[in-house]
Amino acid sequence: MAQEKKAGLLRRTSSSKKPLKEKVVLMYDEIFTKDDPAKTNPRFWDELFLMKVNLEYLEGKLESLDGDEVMVVKDNINSLFHHCVLALEEEHQIKVVNALQTLCALFRGVHQKNKSATGFDIINMLVGFDKAELRMKDLMESLDSLLCGDGSESLKSLCLKLLLCLVTVTDNISQNTILEYVMINSIFEAILQIVSDVSSRGQHGYDAVVLLALLVNYRKYESVNPYIVKLSIVDDEPTLDGLGMVVHQALTEYNRQYKNKEEENHGGFFSTLTSMVGNMFIADTEEKLSVQTNEAILLALYEAVHLNRNFITVLAQSHPEIEMTAAPVTPIPTTPTSLGTTPPSLDMMHNPELPLDPNLQTSNLLITFLKYSSIVMQDTKGNFPIAILNEHRLNSARLCLIILTCIAEDQYADAFLHDDNMNFRVNLHRMPMRHRKKAADKTIPSRPLVCAVLDLMVEFIVTHMMKEFPMDLYMRCVQIIHKLICYQKKCRIRLHYTWRELWSALINLLKFLLSNETTLLAKHNIFQLALQVVSLFNMFITYGDTFLPTPSSYDELYYEIVRMHQVFDNLYCMVLRVSTNVGQWKEPASKVTYALVNVRAIINHFNPKIESYAAVNHISQLSEDQVLEVVRSNYDTLTLKLQDGLDQFERYSEQPKETAFFKELVRSISVNVRKNVSLNTLSQDVLLKEFSSIS
Amino acid sequence: ACVYVAMGDTELEVSSSQQEELQKSPSASSTSTTSSLSLPSSPSSGPRPLTSSSPSASEGLSTSSPPLDVISEGVGELSLVIDTEVAKKACQEVLQKVKLLKGEGQSTLVTTKPGLVNGTRHIGSSDRDSRRLCTSQKIGEEEAPSDTVKSARRRQNNNSSKQSWLLRLFESKLFDISMAISYLYNSKEPGVQAYIGNRLFSFRYEDVDFYLPQLLNMYIHMDEDVGDAIKPYVVHRCRQSINFSLQCAWLLGAYSSDMHISTQRHSRGTKLRKVILSDELKPAGQRARREALQPPPPCHHGQGMGEHGLSPSKRTHQRSKSDATVTISLSSNLKRTASNPKVESSQDEDMSSSSDSLKLEAGTLLSIVSLAKDVISYALEKPKEGLLIVFLNTVKIKPVRLTPQREFIKSLMGIGKRLATLPTKEQKTQRLISELSLLNHKLPARVWLPTAAFDHHVVRVPHTQAVVLNSKDKAPYLIYVEVLDCENFETSSVPVRIPETRIRSTRSVENLPDCGITPDQRASSFSTVPNYDNDDEAWSVDDIGELQVELPEIHTNSCDNISQFSVDSITSQESKEPIFIAAGDIRRRLSEQLAHTPTTFKKDPEDPSAVALKEPWQEKVRRIREASPYGHLPNWRLLSVIVKCGDDLRQELLAFQVLKQLQSIWEQERVPLWIKPYKILVISSDSGMIEPVVNAVSIHQVKKQSQLSLLDYFLQEHGNYTTEAFLTAQRNFVQSCAGYCLICYLLQVKDRHNGNILLDSEGHIIHIDFGFILSSSPRNLGFETSAFKLTNEFVDVMGGQDGDMFNYYKMLMLQGLIAARKHMEKVIQIVEIMQQGSQLPCFHGSSTIRNLKERFHMSLTEEQLQVLVEQMVDGSMRSITTKLYDGFQYLTNGIM
Repeated sequence: MAQEKKAGLLRRTSSSKKPLKEKVVLMYDEIFTKDDPAKTNPRFWDELFLMKVNLEYLEGKLESLDGDEVMVVKDNINSLFHHCVLALEEEHQIKVVNALQTLCALFRGVHQKNKSATGFDIINMLVGFDKAELRMKDLMESLDSLLCGDGSESLKSLCLKLLLCLVTVTDNISQNTILEYVMINSIFEAILQIVSDVSSRGQHGYDAVVLLALLVNYRKYESVNPYIVKLSIVDDEPTLDGLGMVVHQALTEYNRQYKNKEEENHGGFFSTLTSMVGNMFIADTEEKLSVQTNEAILLALYEAVHLNRNFITVLAQSHPEIEMTAAPVTPIPTTPTSLGTTPPSLDMMHNPELPLDPNLQTSNLLITFLKYSSIVMQDTKGNFPIAILNEHRLNSARLCLIILTCIAEDQYADAFLHDDNMNFRVNLHRMPMRHRKKAADKTIPSRPLVCAVLDLMVEFIVTHMMKEFPMDLYMRCVQIIHKLICYQKKCRIRLHYTWRELWSALINLLKFLLSNETTLLAKHNIFQLALQVVSLFNMFITYGDTFLPTPSSYDELYYEIVRMHQVFDNLYCMVLRVSTNVGQWKEPASKVTYALVNVRAIINHFNPKIESYAAVNHISQLSEDQVLEVVRSNYDTLTLKLQDGLDQFERYSEQPKETAFFKELVRSISVNVRKNVSLNTLSQDVLLKEFSSIS
Repeated sequence: ACVYVAMGDTELEVSSSQQEELQKSPSASSTSTTSSLSLPSSPSSGPRPLTSSSPSASEGLSTSSPPLDVISEGVGELSLVIDTEVAKKACQEVLQKVKLLKGEGQSTLVTTKPGLVNGTRHIGSSDRDSRRLCTSQKIGEEEAPSDTVKSARRRQNNNSSKQSWLLRLFESKLFDISMAISYLYNSKEPGVQAYIGNRLFSFRYEDVDFYLPQLLNMYIHMDEDVGDAIKPYVVHRCRQSINFSLQCAWLLGAYSSDMHISTQRHSRGTKLRKVILSDELKPAGQRARREALQPPPPCHHGQGMGEHGLSPSKRTHQRSKSDATVTISLSSNLKRTASNPKVESSQDEDMSSSSDSLKLEAGTLLSIVSLAKDVISYALEKPKEGLLIVFLNTVKIKPVRLTPQREFIKSLMGIGKRLATLPTKEQKTQRLISELSLLNHKLPARVWLPTAAFDHHVVRVPHTQAVVLNSKDKAPYLIYVEVLDCENFETSSVPVRIPETRIRSTRSVENLPDCGITPDQRASSFSTVPNYDNDDEAWSVDDIGELQVELPEIHTNSCDNISQFSVDSITSQESKEPIFIAAGDIRRRLSEQLAHTPTTFKKDPEDPSAVALKEPWQEKVRRIREASPYGHLPNWRLLSVIVKCGDDLRQELLAFQVLKQLQSIWEQERVPLWIKPYKILVISSDSGMIEPVVNAVSIHQVKKQSQLSLLDYFLQEHGNYTTEAFLTAQRNFVQSCAGYCLICYLLQVKDRHNGNILLDSEGHIIHIDFGFILSSSPRNLGFETSAFKLTNEFVDVMGGQDGDMFNYYKMLMLQGLIAARKHMEKVIQIVEIMQQGSQLPCFHGSSTIRNLKERFHMSLTEEQLQVLVEQMVDGSMRSITTKLYDGFQYLTNGIM
């Protein structure tokens, strides 16, 4: 096939000298003239759709048109479009296939040419302004019925491809005026149907979900997008489950690939060698690619979590069946290698039967998402210095944290996160670091899911103290912790969690902020973050009785604060200094000063007591137990100050704070999807060839 | 009860005397039975004509009555509504017949018999039925009236001198269901059997239901006459109730399973089961029609109908609730249907094909009928294309009366089977939770827990609360089930589904500008539609509000506070009083709150049920109710059930019946023994459900978790020796211990390790697991030779051997034994009937019943009994085998 293609290409290049052209090319040429091609040949359109489409030629032809020529051939292009739409109704499936591909080329070609043109001009050129409404309605209805009908799967796939193509022709989806017709003639239900049906979900679920994610983002902030409306009120569980399952599988697949690669890297000499050789070919682009395309899936997850309250239940929905039975039958159903916009996966060879790993058997979307996040947030690719997060990873990590924020705010989600009966072992990815042993391979106990979320946050905090400080991510991270603790306080949930790890991570973060004050202050408002961290400590100090698991954990909190008093002292000095100066940081710094009152009271109260205890007992270095003893016996003389609003937080809202981020994200996803669609359309011919021989 | 015993004796007399007479007759005994059959069986057609509601007794018999066979096939479309009044009349009629027979039995037997006997010989035994029917019909049509008249005359003639004891007994108020069952079982007299068959109609349903296993076992394993006597009643009840139908079907299946496979296939039990499960025993047509006229249930179709939410425009359309739901879902589906009907049909297929999933839609025919009404009325109002398609698609779903419940049970059993394949408890638990959450998608539905005593619909399974129970190779599990009380689960409408997240869709729907609906306006102009509001206000804001946090100007507040802190730097005007708290108070509150929470068990992955069972039931109910979207409904209830898959619960059922019987005997005799029979639902010979004992954990769990002796645990849980709470708990312990010791002795309950003895929060012990009773014991190792299990720990809790409570314990046992002895027959009867055709290990050997009888020691005086009790207590306490067995269990199974 590829050879044939090449032959075609060769022939075409030589055609500039000799007029030896494919018939279809000749017919295209006829279209790009002034006259109606059907005039000379009444069966012109019938014949055209029987020919194999030459996408490149058609697209090239469209691109090469200049302004005046456009006006000349406009009628014929309109007519081509019209006949494409008509051909979709044909019984002869070859015609349908060719029509779909031709449409693809038309959309792409016209847009390539007219990057600067307004949407209206494009519509006019493509469809004809007067008939646009009707034609597009017909087109959407045909696509809708093709997608929902019993027809061949590759036809459905092509339809989705066409839609993806249409949705991504512009970088900024909101400027793609033609999508207005997709809004009016909603294909939402068709997408949902694909997602809810087991078999179609397997084959087209990925594309359908990506398409949905993109459509939801069309003029999200300016107008009312019916897809948003509809997505927000879906309450049919099989459908929502299906949506969750597509996301689940895509993320699982990524996690699996990552794990495989990691294992390769840690394997023996031979595997190192092969992976080196392999890396020479696969290169980093692929790695980036896969992360990028997963952004689309993450975006879909975000939209579902953010817009649809019922979707929250899906997060906790375990999927025992897919992994145990369905998966081996149709290996990696969501990542069709030849058709999908999905990254070229490590395909079949690397996809042995899913091991009957007992940990794999019951998983849920949330667990998979947490694992995924743990990978995305850490970059352990040995090639890079640990600290560097490339832009896409940064975006992915941010999106992950946003999703977690939404989850942490949802009461139902909190309920199952904290459900003592739903215990899971979550193997988060942990970055190997100099000062700690690699993973230590201790068996993680089975715990409520919130522990995994907290672990992930702690892990993020300790691993991202770097020069390129991801301030925004840190803020989100600390806020997520805060939201979870607010829930625990409200519902009096005493989580058996090793809070100590969190405390020391937070204190280390403060330490990092202090030692890099000057560099960081140049870019960020570090006081905001410091305030958040200190507020967290205040939560523990003043409300600890409502959610700490044991009295001794309260003692440990004091121990930790006293032990690290230097950090708090330094922080106090710093904020005091800044707040007494006049400048932009005056106010935020003074807030921190105030927030530190309890911590300082604790330090000032216990430090002398500990010192005198040491002096009395002639001990130079007190043991932990001794300090705890001092702490326990001196509570009563300490007075704390209750601070306002500790258990309150600002709810997440996409507008206006996140608008810019999402616009940029959608743009990058659009570009990426477009690239992948075009890449794969060619290989699609392979499939269509088979298809034509069958029919 | 004395009367009862006396009567029993008389009955024996009567029957034996009859037999003597039969022996005397020249023909073979079998044919002679037949001959006597022909007359008395005529009354057995009694109950049927009375359904045509003929009030007069004599006419009732004369109307052409459908023959027995019609009923037995179960296809008869007779519209039978038998009320108890009519049934009573029928019984009276039959009683008269019996009297007549008795009269004749004495006087005419000699003369009439030979002729009849000769007649039967020619016809042959295979035709017996039909012949009998003919005869009975003939009698019914022609002779009956004259018979009655004759009998009346005769009765006057013969008067009381000739009247048998039996008749007087049957008429007396003392004749209860227990006696009825006993006579049905013991009497070889078809007339009596038929009479009792009819008399069943006059007992309260609950009373008969208790003996359902006996009735059905007799139906399966005893001769045809008994079967024929029972069948009309069973069929009648099946028509009335889905629950009864299923219970019958399950029991029939379970009790037929011991038959040889070839005979089983053709056995009457199997046939009746098939008829029931084929759902031919529907209530008669008129009844269904009447119900159809009731207000239509809001049919909430999870998949088929109300799929893609509600369209705002219809939301305002105010009609009756159900009506609105239907129209909304219809209209939202209209477009789909018009453009691609596949949506609807595929969903239908999906539903009908998925056998493992519940078919919610199969609510009842009723809902569909009412739906149809709605659809048609809606269609008339707004003729639109596509409506009919929707309607037809909807109607395609054939609701089957029994299906939802059967599917529900099937999926629960399926879960059990799949769990059994997983190696660890942790995995089992996770799997269980996820499976149950899938099950939730199909709820609410017209399904119920058969172990519950009231009508309800299951609305939700709080899946995260489910636990796997301790079992080595099987996977029994405990689930909690949220139900809504209802008047009648067959006719009351199925509750509307409320999404887990309790979203109040009204807000988001109404606030949304309707874009999908009126595309025309938008299409006409390309101008941007005004932004109604930003998205988070419209649909992402949490409606619950409970956790919603308004920011009460946090920033200004903190500014104020700063001013207080550093007074010198900023001057504050409206400063608030700062709140000071003592760190010591926080610490104290923390430890106090932890101390006040009731003692809980620690999580143990190897014993997940311990924690779940330890939690006080009320606490659990409150907690689950709070978290449930249905919790706010006043008729919300929480039930729990243990699902057993791979276990034969027939012995458990037998034990339950015996316990229940003894319980009521003790209650009747005012012996304050305490036992807790827990309900058993036999679904097949290897599956079933158990109603868990709430607020109880096993002694094994108590000891393992608390690491205390039983007495110390009592002290910890209830307080010191002298406290009211401790004394109450101790009394409860003694009363329950005495009760169960008797049970264990009488039933020879074995395998009494501490994992099989529960301790409830009030101090009662409860024995569970009656897998080894009567003639069977675990592996027959010869352990547990003592009369019952009485360890020193138990005695310690009672206050030692010299204490008053220990004497009280022995006294209770004596009283209990005396009371039980008085009513021995009632207990024996239950066991004896179930022995029929049974291969259960508890009936192993030939002397099961004889040994059981012996354990009641009918021959001993009360003084001798007292000595016996003393001996047994003494022997059990000192028993080395009890200790051995506990040691053995500890070593092999880790049970403490």
